[in-house]
Amino acid sequence: MAAIGIDTFFAPLAELNARLKEREFSAEDLARAVSERLQQLGPRYNALALGLHQEAVRQAKDVDKELKRQRYRGLLQGIPYGVKDLLAYAGQPTTWGAKPYAAQVFDYNAAVIEKLSGAGAVLAGKLSMVELAGGGGYRLPSASLTGPGLNPWDRTRWSGGSSSGSAAAVAAGLVPFAIGSETSGSIVTPASYCGVTALRPTYGLVSRYGAMALSWTLDKLGPFARSAEDCGVILQAIAGKDGRDPGSAGKSFYYTPQYARPLKELRVGYAPADFAEWAEPATRPAFEAAMGVLKASGVQMMETKLPDFPYGAALSTILAGEMGSIFEPLISSGKVDELADRPQIAGLKASLELPAKEYLKAMRIRRLIQEAVARMFGTVDVLVAPGRAGIASKIDQPLDRGASGPQPKDAGFRPIIQMGNLAGLPALVLPCGFVEGMPVALQVVGAPYSENTLLALGRDFQAKTDWHKKRPPM
Amino acid sequence: MKLTRRKLAASLISAGALAAQQTPTAAPAPAPADSDLKTARDRLAANAAALSATAIPLATEPAFQFKA
Repeated sequence: MAAIGIDTFFAPLAELNARLKEREFSAEDLARAVSERLQQLGPRYNALALGLHQEAVRQAKDVDKELKRQRYRGLLQGIPYGVKDLLAYAGQPTTWGAKPYAAQVFDYNAAVIEKLSGAGAVLAGKLSMVELAGGGGYRLPSASLTGPGLNPWDRTRWSGGSSSGSAAAVAAGLVPFAIGSETSGSIVTPASYCGVTALRPTYGLVSRYGAMALSWTLDKLGPFARSAEDCGVILQAIAGKDGRDPGSAGKSFYYTPQYARPLKELRVGYAPADFAEWAEPATRPAFEAAMGVLKASGVQMMETKLPDFPYGAALSTILAGEMGSIFEPLISSGKVDELADRPQIAGLKASLELPAKEYLKAMRIRRLIQEAVARMFGTVDVLVAPGRAGIASKIDQPLDRGASGPQPKDAGFRPIIQMGNLAGLPALVLPCGFVEGMPVALQVVGAPYSENTLLALGRDFQAKTDWHKKRPPM
Repeated sequence: MKLTRRKLAASLISAGALAAQQTPTAAPAPAPADSDLKTARDRLAANAAALSATAIPLATEPAFQFKA
């Protein structure tokens, strides 16, 4: 058996799987190496919620028996991974990142874990998160049972939220891939800040059975990985119909970027104001260069405007209505006061006061948004915008501080995260450069179920760049 | 009644202690949670105001059960 060196921890799925099949190392060797690394370095980034070393070794031994019999299940067979600690894993704590749930244990596995287990992937640990996935609105990165998520590129900066540990663990090479969740920005933000590729799937494509509910109509689960290619492989494994999730779309996903529309036919909408005015000045050259790479792939770049709606207000109102109902027992019992972030506690308490008519108004506006977005995708195929307008903030910096100075008049695609989540749109995050040693990324957003188009674009972009391969200093 | 210095001192101390107990203390500063709760409520109200600016056709039904 060859020694498992540092390169292995940053290798893409296809390479890891090939080396397992060639018996360069066993699945058990890999599981031991990854889980030990996760246990050792995870706390360095406050990224680890729960190590699962023994379980991982046990699963990996089963995979080795299969590999010995040449029973191949696909590229995920024998690959260790981590999940955000809002997914149930039988017999082990599932804390939802929050003190009131620190001792919570379920007796079943989340659908995503079931599916990955069926594909032969090996669960190595549960990863940290912002408490209750940020429901209520938090002020500081310290709003987590495991402390503030620290960015592997600079531990004085935040790893983003709420899938903090998922992004940090992949960025630091602690796991080859991880599963996170997004209600409004919780995949896009940490992936952008940590410089990893990640995919927010279309609403309903991935079952949320066994996942903490924050908002029934907004929650989605998706992968953080080394590349668009890897995200496609993982999505194929975790997508699919599930009668246990009332939001399930009943659709499967097959990763076939080779059959996606040719890039030269792709109409890519963008807003110049995002890159020239909203992006922090230091990041603009990186974004400009990244847009140059996109243009060079032959796509048709089109200046585009988002339909005019109060996206932020609609999303916040829907979220307040649903999380208030979900967490009413926590709030009414007073145990909500055990949370770490005071504004978040207040936001949860206030959510119980939301009038039903406001929730319904927001949901009716959401219908109008869906219709307008569908019309927009008749004129463009994909939207592109910065993942975030700047680099990760310092961990002691409040996240709810207002914008300073005059704001650009053109809103550009500023509400693209809220719009994308309200309309259930998929988004792919592509690392696209570094500023002051910190990663920046693009997000590409498409119509529902256009994941293969996004992944084909991402694959082409990553064939021409190496930002997604960069490693943080250890 | 003849008061010794010891008795006088004891009575003064106990009177002082009683007075200190009875002196109304200043009302506590609003706990951070109070201002946070007001901020959260204001946010809900601001959202409601923003939503009110959108004209919704009478026939528009809420987007539930939500499907992308």
